[in-house]
Amino acid sequence: MEKLTPQEIVDSFKKALGDGFVDGQIYEREVAVKKNRYRRIWIFVKRGAFREAVRHLSKIQEYPHLVIISSSDLGDDVELIYHFTVYYGFHLEEISLGLRVTLSKKDLKILTITDLIPGAIFPERETQEMMGVEVTDIPDGRRLFLVGDIPEGVYPWRKDETGPEKYLRVLPGRKPKGKE
Amino acid sequence: MSLKAFNRALWVYHMNTGSCNGCDIEILAVLTPRYDAERFGIMLVGSPRHADVLLVTGPVGRSMEDSVRRVYEQTPDPKVVMAVGNCGIEGDVFYEAYSLVGPIDQIIPVDVYVPGCPPRPEAIIEGVVKAWAKLETLAKQGVS
Amino acid sequence: MAVNDMEKTTYTIPIGPIHPALKEPIQLDLEIDGERVVDVDVKVGQVHRSIEWLGMNRNNPVQSIYLSERVCGICNVCHPFCLVLAVEQAADIKVPDRAEYIRVIAAEMERIHSHILWAGVAAHEIGFDTVFYLTWRVREEIMDMIEYVFGNRVTKAILQIGGVRRDITEEQLPRIRQGLDYYKSVFEQLRRIFLEDETVKMRCRNVGILGYEDALKLLTVGPTVRASGVPKDVRQDQPYSAYADLDVRAITPDIVTGTVVGDVYDRIIVRLLEVKQSVEIIEECLEKMPEGPLLTEPKMPRLLKLLTDAAGEGVGRVEAPRGEDIHYVRMESGVSTLSTWKIRAPTYINLVAIPTILRGMQIADVPIAFASIDPCMSCTNRAIVTDRASGTKSVLGYEEMHRLSVQKTKELKR
Repeated sequence: MEKLTPQEIVDSFKKALGDGFVDGQIYEREVAVKKNRYRRIWIFVKRGAFREAVRHLSKIQEYPHLVIISSSDLGDDVELIYHFTVYYGFHLEEISLGLRVTLSKKDLKILTITDLIPGAIFPERETQEMMGVEVTDIPDGRRLFLVGDIPEGVYPWRKDETGPEKYLRVLPGRKPKGKE
Repeated sequence: MSLKAFNRALWVYHMNTGSCNGCDIEILAVLTPRYDAERFGIMLVGSPRHADVLLVTGPVGRSMEDSVRRVYEQTPDPKVVMAVGNCGIEGDVFYEAYSLVGPIDQIIPVDVYVPGCPPRPEAIIEGVVKAWAKLETLAKQGVS
Repeated sequence: MAVNDMEKTTYTIPIGPIHPALKEPIQLDLEIDGERVVDVDVKVGQVHRSIEWLGMNRNNPVQSIYLSERVCGICNVCHPFCLVLAVEQAADIKVPDRAEYIRVIAAEMERIHSHILWAGVAAHEIGFDTVFYLTWRVREEIMDMIEYVFGNRVTKAILQIGGVRRDITEEQLPRIRQGLDYYKSVFEQLRRIFLEDETVKMRCRNVGILGYEDALKLLTVGPTVRASGVPKDVRQDQPYSAYADLDVRAITPDIVTGTVVGDVYDRIIVRLLEVKQSVEIIEECLEKMPEGPLLTEPKMPRLLKLLTDAAGEGVGRVEAPRGEDIHYVRMESGVSTLSTWKIRAPTYINLVAIPTILRGMQIADVPIAFASIDPCMSCTNRAIVTDRASGTKSVLGYEEMHRLSVQKTKELKR
């Protein structure tokens, strides 16, 4: 398949998702002495159109490379960014693409994409345990990194009351944080 | 402190409780031809039941706490415990994290501390020599 | 005696604990049938040190550089490199050209060190302890070079937001060139030992195969995916820092053998050739390095104020020795820590491919196949093995598994 420019990619998403498409932003930066361009696209989508967006991405690049799923606690909302790259394997042609989904904290659910991309199992498990986002239909939902006696319901990446502050270990001779 | 002679070989068991591997590669570098501790009879063994010295690295993670205690109990007396690297001594950059249960001396008693991030192989050798001296003292006192 | 009559117990093989070769705790649950592995379950979490939480709640961005350096002791340039790239994108800080080249030199030195270290570990897993000691002796040369240029053997602490902290001066160049010449001279010997030895071929050919399609679907990165024929390399596809001036190409095993199998032998080929490529890249950088300042903002209080006021997001992607490394950073104005920090180390995503690589293999081949993805966490912990056929449970230490691996080599040599 021929390679599209960033603007053409954004337009193709807009056409394919219709209502589900919220916004598209392109970021470019010059790198090194020869001034090669680093290119990144942000595509904001609604939760309902998210799986359709991933399927559309598979049409642009066969086997899109999912790098990681990052999540941010924005107070009342949680924003998930699925970092993809397309056009890997070619000199100077790769474009980074981020699919951004905003979820309200009252309804933290998102559908799995492990049937489209089998390697996404570890990032989804991590998002589930660290941020508290429930990934529906995930084939294996066990905890990945939090072991030992940290109970369920403690989400380290959150900034609200479900954070892990109670489990901080204070060194002998020091007072706990905030009580100095 | 003076050692008269190396009466017997010193067998060392290395345990990693969740470190970044920096200290571990320096421990292995002690065995390689440049520093070559094996010519003194210092040997890494595969089971704590054969060991005289326990080399522990890493800040102890929650799931490794039991393993550390068990390994300490399996090692026969007289034994010496060495904490190698800053993580095991007081946590280094990871102090007061939620997933760690504290420096090694909160879990098992430590005899020799080797600071550094990571410590140089020469520092580790000096630590082993100090451990050796302590071990000989313990053996002379008749600790069995 | 029929198999069905046996008592039901589980067969446990703890892969661990420690012996030469780096061991970071990891737990592998192997399900075996006779001598072959049927399924694998990877359990991680023993090395979780809550680094992202510390960076988001306690450290300012400059302190987080030193925190990210200790994510892994062997790849200790790629993580701070990713972090400073991400923060510079978020805060819109431009880096002087000379600093870019010094960063690339640090990254390539780390790559040479990591691949030679891995070659020794792989030799040990097969049972060639002599080669392990020889390779680690060769590694001492790059450690000396690193100490000469950066001041410390393992952690280099060379990176700073907006540039680098120390310079490579004219007087240091002859020593660096001497080290690079040493590696060029010893490369032929290493190549003969690892690529032409009959036993290495017998142990590594057709072991631990990962196919082209599987590698793409399971999102593998680094030499593991390049050995399966996919030319994925961040230095080629989306160059960062001074790589955009150099012409770096991904190395796939068909350069040497003409075909791609995707097994352990191919991964050895890719890593050895990358050592040679790194030597050439460092030489090119030393020639092309321009003059100029090292830091955009040398004064620390002003830098910290700049970072506290910055708002934005950044993504830093770097080709670490083990694969692609990424850090995502979000900064908010008025907040002194990073608001969001997400690290994804390369081994994290390569572990997803482990069940596919280990399926169908003999137990004696598990150590070398697992080590071939170059895990930045090696198997130390207990692993539980269920034997479907006999259902018996017994405890085999790592010693035993390693002994099985060494014994297989001896039998092949006969």
